[in-house]
Amino acid sequence: MISCEGMGAMSLYNLAAPGGGGGNLFLIPNATFFVELLIFLIVVGVIWRYVVPPVKRATAQRQEMVRRQIQESQQATKRLAEAEARYSAALAEARVEAAKIRETARAAAQAIKDELREQAEHEVARIRERGAEQLAHQREQVVRELRGELGKLAVALASRIVGESLADDARRAGTVDRFLDELQGMAAPQSASDSASQDRAVSPDSAAPDGGAPKNGSVKGVASVPHARRRR
Amino acid sequence: MIAYVMAGGGGGVSVGEHPQWHILGLTINADTVISTAIAGVIVIAFGLYLAAKATSKVPSTLQIAFEAVTEQVERQVETNVGIRTAPFVVPLAIGLFFFILIANWISILPHATEEYVRPPTADVNLTFAMSFFVMVLVWATGIRVQGKHYFGHFVQPYKAMLPLNIIEELVKPITLSLRLFGNILAGTVMVSVLALMPAAISWLPTSAWKLFDLFIGLLQALIFALLTIIYFGMAAGGQEGEGAH
Repeated sequence: MISCEGMGAMSLYNLAAPGGGGGNLFLIPNATFFVELLIFLIVVGVIWRYVVPPVKRATAQRQEMVRRQIQESQQATKRLAEAEARYSAALAEARVEAAKIRETARAAAQAIKDELREQAEHEVARIRERGAEQLAHQREQVVRELRGELGKLAVALASRIVGESLADDARRAGTVDRFLDELQGMAAPQSASDSASQDRAVSPDSAAPDGGAPKNGSVKGVASVPHARRRR
Repeated sequence: MIAYVMAGGGGGVSVGEHPQWHILGLTINADTVISTAIAGVIVIAFGLYLAAKATSKVPSTLQIAFEAVTEQVERQVETNVGIRTAPFVVPLAIGLFFFILIANWISILPHATEEYVRPPTADVNLTFAMSFFVMVLVWATGIRVQGKHYFGHFVQPYKAMLPLNIIEELVKPITLSLRLFGNILAGTVMVSVLALMPAAISWLPTSAWKLFDLFIGLLQALIFALLTIIYFGMAAGGQEGEGAH
């Protein structure tokens, strides 16, 4: 090993010497050139013919595949967007439709309500009218009865007054009072409204016992009577 | 040690000494031929394996690397020459790149004092062979593409520049080959020099140097392929290339 190093150090200096070490013109090519050229051409030829084309084909195919995938993905995205647009359009349409239906339903409900109210009002009016008619009828009946009996009663009162001592003022007054009480007792069983209208109906013919007649009842009674008569 | 003996017993650091065959009066460097053949077999085997396994689906790492190189080369060719002008430049440059790369890296296993297999690019015969082949193709392409106009560039910008332009054109293959040769030879010389140290020490700088040598090998392969493309671009481009852009 040591001797080898020593020789190495020696020959390192020998490098500078031209042609040192047995025709050492290493920059001049020899026949090896042609062999090397041949080997190189074979290698390049093989790569040229058999390696590059299949790999390039594979690369091109993959690029084509990627391009197609990108294209498909873009198309899918577009279709999705279209579908979403269609969906939202349909949704909006449905909302409009629903609103329209709701509006129609509301209108129908309103119409039904109006109709029912009108019917109810008609009914009320009819009932009221019939009531008024009944009242008028009853009043007439009462008046007719009273007319029939008033004469008899007047005669009875007069005969009683005459029959009893006329001189006694107090007794006379008592008689009159009793008579009036009787009259009142006759009217008492009747209902309040009936009595009111009866009183009112009676009042033009006979003196009202309590003086001022109730305004409302009288007005109604007076108003309804001719109406009822006209109807009949 | 065997190499020294075969090389004529020079010993130590030997430069350009090769065991030689003498066939029909021709001198052939045996180690260069053998290592070139090994590198060629490796490149062809890799290439054929790659071509057989080439898939358009999920590519192997090797295929990805090859495709990256191919893509780079195609881009370079496209910008410098135009792929349609000289489509053969792409496989040529790819072949050059991988062949030189493997030829440079073949020296990755260092012996104590030498490489097991000496890089064939450390012999001018291979680099000259490659560069002259390339330059012949370059000139042929220039003449084919530009016709008579190709010779016009020898007298530009002045007629007086004619000798200089001719020298420039002749120097191209020489620089192309000697650049590669010099770099790789320097690597082997460096290993030989490091081997002068005792083996107990020399392993560390030798390992470090080998790593750096790998980088140099890659760089030189890249430069050779790139310069090839550029020379094709210069020959084919000319006025036509400028007119196209």
